[in-house]
Amino acid sequence: MDATDSRATRFYRALLRLLPFDFRGDFGPEMETVFHEQRKEAARRGGAAGVLRLWWETIVGIFKTAPSEHVAMFAQDAGFALRMMRKNPGFTLAAVLTLGLGIGANSAIFSVVNAVLLKPLPYEHGDRLVTLQQQAPRAGMLRQPFSVAEINDYRSQSHSLDGLVEYHNMNFILLGRSEPERVETGVVSWNYFDVFGVKPLFGRSFRADDEQPGAPAVLMLSYEYWIRSFGGDPTVVNKKFTMNDRVHTVVGVLPPVPQYPDENDVYMPTTACPFRSRPAFIANRQARMMQVFGRMKPGMSVSHSGADLNAVAANLQRAYPNDYPPAIDYSIRTASLEEELTHNARPTMLVLLGAAGFVLLIACANVANLNLARMVRRERELAVRAALGAGRVRMFRQLLTESSLLALIGGGLGLLFSWGALDLLVNFATRFTPRAREIHLDSTVLLFTLAVAVLTSVLSGTAPALAARDTVVDGLKEGSAQSTIGIGRRRMRSLLIVAQVAVSFLLLIGAGLMLRSFQKLQRVDPGFQPENVLTMQIGLDFTKYNTNDKQRAFFENFLEKVQAQSGVKSAAASMMIPLTNNMQMPGDFQIEGQAPVPGQALPVADFRVVSESYFDTLHVPVLDGRAFTRIDRPESPLVAVVNHAAARHFWGEQEAVGKRFSLDSGKTWTQIVGVVGDVKQYGLDKDAVDEIYMPLAQSPLLDAIVVVKTTVEPMSVARGIIELLYAVDPNQPAARVRSMEQVRAESVAAPRLTSNLLSIFALLALTIAATGIGGVMALAVGQRRHEIGVRMAVGARPGEILRMILGQGMALAGVGIVLGLIGAFALTRLLQTLLFEVGPTDLLTFVGVAIVLSAATLLACYVPARRAARVDPIIALRVE
Amino acid sequence: MSAGLNNPDSHEPLTPAMFHVLLALAGEDLHGYAILKEVELRTSGKVKLSTGTLYGIIKRLLADGLIIERRSRPAEADDDERRRYYRLTTQGREVAAAEAERMDELLSVARARNLLKRPRPA
Repeated sequence: MDATDSRATRFYRALLRLLPFDFRGDFGPEMETVFHEQRKEAARRGGAAGVLRLWWETIVGIFKTAPSEHVAMFAQDAGFALRMMRKNPGFTLAAVLTLGLGIGANSAIFSVVNAVLLKPLPYEHGDRLVTLQQQAPRAGMLRQPFSVAEINDYRSQSHSLDGLVEYHNMNFILLGRSEPERVETGVVSWNYFDVFGVKPLFGRSFRADDEQPGAPAVLMLSYEYWIRSFGGDPTVVNKKFTMNDRVHTVVGVLPPVPQYPDENDVYMPTTACPFRSRPAFIANRQARMMQVFGRMKPGMSVSHSGADLNAVAANLQRAYPNDYPPAIDYSIRTASLEEELTHNARPTMLVLLGAAGFVLLIACANVANLNLARMVRRERELAVRAALGAGRVRMFRQLLTESSLLALIGGGLGLLFSWGALDLLVNFATRFTPRAREIHLDSTVLLFTLAVAVLTSVLSGTAPALAARDTVVDGLKEGSAQSTIGIGRRRMRSLLIVAQVAVSFLLLIGAGLMLRSFQKLQRVDPGFQPENVLTMQIGLDFTKYNTNDKQRAFFENFLEKVQAQSGVKSAAASMMIPLTNNMQMPGDFQIEGQAPVPGQALPVADFRVVSESYFDTLHVPVLDGRAFTRIDRPESPLVAVVNHAAARHFWGEQEAVGKRFSLDSGKTWTQIVGVVGDVKQYGLDKDAVDEIYMPLAQSPLLDAIVVVKTTVEPMSVARGIIELLYAVDPNQPAARVRSMEQVRAESVAAPRLTSNLLSIFALLALTIAATGIGGVMALAVGQRRHEIGVRMAVGARPGEILRMILGQGMALAGVGIVLGLIGAFALTRLLQTLLFEVGPTDLLTFVGVAIVLSAATLLACYVPARRAARVDPIIALRVE
Repeated sequence: MSAGLNNPDSHEPLTPAMFHVLLALAGEDLHGYAILKEVELRTSGKVKLSTGTLYGIIKRLLADGLIIERRSRPAEADDDERRRYYRLTTQGREVAAAEAERMDELLSVARARNLLKRPRPA
């Protein structure tokens, strides 16, 4: 054979590699011979062109044959695998269920990760959107909104943005339906949705002339509100609705996009807000109410844009030194909107994805073990097949086909599981991100699930397939289904058990830490009593209640009626209730006797407005002085109550009661009349902040939360109180009617759901691992009946046998726990950000989990151990 | 394998290439290369099977029991040990015949509709 010949042969052989292994084995050499002859003849008859033509036809032929041959081979293997699965329904069910749970956990969590962390924002310009915040850390201001003047300055002076839009939230009252309805409203620049790149589903977006003073009132509906309140009726466009005192026309319906920072029902242009439109408000550089979003010019990075905007900030500091004194360290914080929308979710989602991955590993190890155990019983079958000429590769592939089928069916089941869990997941993710609505089982999730299933089949099928190698030899040699399994395979099984225990330990530790942390969170004293308190939000119609007197009169009148209601102990109104975050009003003030130092920031505290029975209603203790009373009237001296933190922070060792402070640079002074206990305002896991309470009588409110202490189940009086409200003003709606217990539960929903999910994963892992270890021990006992019989025949007592088997099982568990312990020390640090007052190596959790896991494995080993102890030596020996 | 194996008429339809291979083997037992040559010769070079296609067909025909591999080998001089000879089984012959008849019926229809220029000599 000359060089051309051998090159051609080599190339032809490479081509044959495209065909299935068996096909090659059967026909490869023969095909080579035929091709050799074909080539000789082609060269003789057609020269180089003839040979080229032959190559072309040959290559095409192989490429056409290969796929169908592979499919045929797989069909044959799969048919056989399905028959095997039908013959072992117990094994099949256990394996499919285990894999289904493992894969389901992964595709479910992945569907969240995919929607929230991986997919680009569903706005056309999502990757170019940034949020802007003003900060002055030295003045205690970290995420300051913007004033109109500031918005205009940043809009006109920035070079990195090609759009800058504003947003703030207010509420309108929709009239003309069966009951008045509070409508959460986003008040936005006319080009807000253009900058985001959101096109309306129906109708149109706002236009510049919608924002002109005096323009007809228009609004756009959010997708959710449109579905909820209008049943998705597209003819709603151009319909008119009375909101407060004006008729508004619906011009468009928004598509389902994440709403940030608030979930709004409708959107209106800035001129719809009477406060935002006041000339005094527009002129006041310090009247900061609006959030600002920018769209970077194409190709601009967030850091570039940040530098550009900080240059504008420096300009403002130079131009208005009184508004931005150097001492407050004024600057602009720029963050990508995507980051802003998802950073809350990231740590939790990644931890859960990791946990789901661990569950899958355990499931794989368990199925691999089931496979190995079954292999013992299949030794004869495999040996016979080997004897009949099935090559090693063929058997390897047969076994892999079986595990692939199991994994695919398990994957299908897993998808069903995650489909069933979808609503729960959306509800869960809503606690972390406005992107939760985007969670679907889309093609990416399907592909991911398929990939996981393939990985699973490789992970769970390779070990037994490799083990089949000795089987083929041993099976025939010993010719017995009860032959002791090879040492290698036993070691492999022990290894898989150890791995399962170790990973279960990790997951249990994770869940245990989260549960402990949640427990601690639940035990936190919120500083008030949430029991038997009803809350509802009442946002007054700002056109009707347009003076302080009207606002005050409304609440005083209403609260008086509520107090008289049966089942009500006391009632109060407040700007906000504890454990929520819907309204923050930080402000600076001047302490009497501490003249402000030029260039230095004033003290800052959170200001709240509450009515007189507020502290009483929520059982916030009055530590010193008094709470607000009837004597605090608009015309009487200005008074305030501070919380313990503020009293200690600003007045230190001196008594705060009797001290005065000013909110207007010393023009008027407010006297502190009492000190109350600290309340967990922003969450059980957050420290109390410095708070100054003002009486409702002296600082009226437009939008308040009414809190009612009841002597009965709070929700049972809700309807009666709403009727009282309508009696005072039939056009005044109540919103967010819920009990304080509900408020408290919702404030810890995120950690609760996270620890629940982790616990489910951990329990799943524990169950799989425990049944796995029990199954392996049972098999070992079955195989060692003879040996156990001999031991008993020579005098071993049942108790000793029991201890021996338990000891062996527990030895495996022990190794697993030690490995898990090492892993846990390394990995629980990742949980740190999710934990509250629990260290990632919390001793109690570690010990507790070790005990639980040991107990579970002990129980799992006990069943086979007891069976071993009951072996009748005579029967066991006779069988042999 | 389906029960239809025993009934040539109910056999899965043959592809033209498969039919050609069966026809080639209807004369005598042949090895792979000879089958290729025979098909090419009889169709005046119109049908050229590549090795991949041929052995895909052979595998299928073997599996369906339409052909078998002949055990006995030809005289030493002609033999190449890597060659294998294939023989039509009774079953294969019946399937090929059924296919031929099916085609014949089609042809008579075509003839009746004057789609063929001249009748084939009987």
